[in-house]
Amino acid sequence: MNFDINSTPLDLTGEKYKDVPYEEKVRLMNEVKEDVRFHDVLYGCYECGVCVAACPSARFYDFSPRVIAQAMAREDAELVYTLMNDSIWDCSQCFSCDRCPRGNSPGGLITLMREVAVKNGLETAKEALEGYGRIIYKIMSTGTQVSPDMLQPNAFPDWGHHVNEIADNLDLWRRALPPETLHTVETGWSVSEKTIIELYLIWHMTGVMDMIKEIDEGLFMILQDVMEERLEDAGYDVTFDE
Amino acid sequence: MSDVGIVRGCKIPKDLYYSVDDHTWVRLNDDGTVTVGMTDVAQNLAGPVLHAKVKKVGLTRAKGKPIGTVESAKWVGPIKTPVSGEIVAVNEKLADDPQLLNRDPYGEGWVVKMKPTNWDEEVQELQTGEEAVQKYQEKVEREDIKACEHVE
Repeated sequence: MNFDINSTPLDLTGEKYKDVPYEEKVRLMNEVKEDVRFHDVLYGCYECGVCVAACPSARFYDFSPRVIAQAMAREDAELVYTLMNDSIWDCSQCFSCDRCPRGNSPGGLITLMREVAVKNGLETAKEALEGYGRIIYKIMSTGTQVSPDMLQPNAFPDWGHHVNEIADNLDLWRRALPPETLHTVETGWSVSEKTIIELYLIWHMTGVMDMIKEIDEGLFMILQDVMEERLEDAGYDVTFDE
Repeated sequence: MSDVGIVRGCKIPKDLYYSVDDHTWVRLNDDGTVTVGMTDVAQNLAGPVLHAKVKKVGLTRAKGKPIGTVESAKWVGPIKTPVSGEIVAVNEKLADDPQLLNRDPYGEGWVVKMKPTNWDEEVQELQTGEEAVQKYQEKVEREDIKACEHVE
């Protein structure tokens, strides 16, 4: 069996992004460093490789949490830019790398880098997140989990051929779940009015909606539609900036 | 049906008006209303549609605002109205059979009927006939949009 699902090696030569001005790369790196959480995720790195040994993504991709910590510690803006485009989306954010003897959190560092990539609308971030639009829509509009009908064979081909069989009988599979999981979507996944209104307000006030607007305008538009209407019904006069 | 242009296997009927960038079409009806829908290219990009939620009758929407939401396995997005106006009818069948959008995007898969409020001006920004086919051809090539496959 071949587990080499992404055989494209990471290009560390800097050649790929040589046309992007150095100042822009520095600007993005500094945006990561200026995050208040930055000092809690990176102290220093002596390249022991414990993080890489623990990292599941490192087994399958040309990906290394150590390289990311190193690049940021050395303030190598060129390398940070390459990683911010072509490496950070290979991380599964499992935080196995948090076992670092220096107390670094490469996974936490990647969280910050991803946020900067999204806020600045990097094309690679758009590509990486393209397939998640519907998941974000479901979670953010309903305030709960993804919908059971998401298990479609053409959505997750990497799940293997048996996904066809499961997708065909999805309703039956759900009915077969133990009763304590409340196997109907309506009761098990219902969210109270108070909660959903709070969630919408939090996403509005914390800038989450602004981030989405930067990355997927269509998604922003339909979420805005759903949220504004419901907030208005609840007596809030909130408009999401156009 | 009148003349139909073909762009990478996708059908572009020449009697309709198109907002190529938003993948929508408009048909001018005899009573002055317009019918709006998604193009063949759009349904092909989205893949089999799982849910289609259409706005309600009576709602007034400005050009470019959503008149509905389409969800496929991988994609979710708005159907943006190419003209401003009031929604006077919605395709109720889409709720139960959203794949009408895939099977018959220019017929049974229509989305809404609207009473346009600024047709004379907004029609200038839409393309029709050979010009629409040409513009779609350019878009499909520029963005390397995959070819349509029709399961009849």
